[in-house]
Amino acid sequence: MYYEILYKPTHSLAIAHLAAGESVRAEASAMVGMTHNIGVQTQGAAGSGGLFKGLKRAFLGGESFFTNLFTAQGAAGQVSLAPQLCGDMIVHQLDGHHQLFIQGSSYVSAPDTVQLDTQFQGFKGFFTGESLFFLAASGQGPVLLNAFGAIEALDVNGELIIDTGHLVAFTSGIHYEVSKAAEGWISSYLSGEGLVLRVYGQGRVYLQTRNPSEYGRSVGSKLPPRGN
Amino acid sequence: MQHQIEHGPAFAWLKVQLAPGERIQAEAGAMVRRTSQLTMDTRLNAGRGAGFFVKIWAIFVAFARKLLGGETLFVNEFHGPQGGEVVLAPSLSGQISHQLLSSGRRLFVQSGSYLASTGTVDTRVRWGGLRAMFGGEGLILLECSGDGDLFVNSYGGIVAMPIDGRFVVDTGHIVAFDGTLDFRVKSVGGVKSFLFSGEGLVCEFSGQGTVYIQSRNMKALVGWLTPLLRG
Repeated sequence: MYYEILYKPTHSLAIAHLAAGESVRAEASAMVGMTHNIGVQTQGAAGSGGLFKGLKRAFLGGESFFTNLFTAQGAAGQVSLAPQLCGDMIVHQLDGHHQLFIQGSSYVSAPDTVQLDTQFQGFKGFFTGESLFFLAASGQGPVLLNAFGAIEALDVNGELIIDTGHLVAFTSGIHYEVSKAAEGWISSYLSGEGLVLRVYGQGRVYLQTRNPSEYGRSVGSKLPPRGN
Repeated sequence: MQHQIEHGPAFAWLKVQLAPGERIQAEAGAMVRRTSQLTMDTRLNAGRGAGFFVKIWAIFVAFARKLLGGETLFVNEFHGPQGGEVVLAPSLSGQISHQLLSSGRRLFVQSGSYLASTGTVDTRVRWGGLRAMFGGEGLILLECSGDGDLFVNSYGGIVAMPIDGRFVVDTGHIVAFDGTLDFRVKSVGGVKSFLFSGEGLVCEFSGQGTVYIQSRNMKALVGWLTPLLRG
């Protein structure tokens, strides 16, 4: 199977091309359209692993509890997929050796040759409410990611400081520490940067040009309060 | 200093390479990434020569705006003895425009449109008049002067509109305008059109200079979203 991405970068749409008998897994509600021979199975968890994995994913990963498994039955077929926000999509090819760590809401879809697990970073933004959860993708095959805004694929060799809200994914050659943006809590709060990731090592980082929670805050703060 | 504006017009961000010792000042929260050799200092954007009371007032305004969810008037300054790269992005979808300021050119910038500045560029808060405050549109302007680069961001695309004479712009569509222009905030017509025309407040410019207009209006987005929210 392979993904084709149309309408880049603002309103990107991905089409998963499946040979007969092939399957692809996608986030609940990502499906836009599909050919008539596609069978859909709704599963808890990331396919295998059962209830616990599904709950872990839903509560920790910020992802839907359910995923849909699309299978081309009898002949080749297509499933088109779209994320919720405006922005680009990208395909990262897993080589079987390196894992890809994906910020929860950036994952869209992968074939069933890719395994997903939730990694809790154990660090929650005290003021900003930002929290960090990664889905760890391993195995072999393409992984479809979405971004809020455009995507930068950056090959890191050295040290870099990244705003967590702009992080899409990174490969397992990269080591990281989660830290406050500035020395003290107060200046971290005032700096508006919340949590940052100090990354080092060698590998690839995908960044998005916009920060969804920052966008939510700038629009949300101008909306009437809840419950009125 | 070198800079690139990439991924525009929908999702523009600003990439800046600083030489050793060079500095750039950016709106709080704008940093996407930076090389680890660069240090970030947070400070109040009260203007360089600001006196004690001006600073107290700026602190008050900054906290009030932070609580109300506006821009904060806090800025982060990036610098380092070896230089480095920093990437900055605004929060809304839109474009970034580069402006050069000098002793002969100052610019008024809508406070939400300020992204970053270099050199001796200084920003001072100016109110767009009492009427703008009562109108609930909060036209808060930053008067930017000095020598250096200024980067402004928009919601939507940016149009540079040269003006010779008079020109009227909806306050929600103003990104920035030249300091050579006179401006006056007013309602479009009488009370009736203020309430029902959907235009709210406008800014009437006169003189010679350029107004930078954004193709989308945050207030309109909020106005569209609000009735769709469940109580």
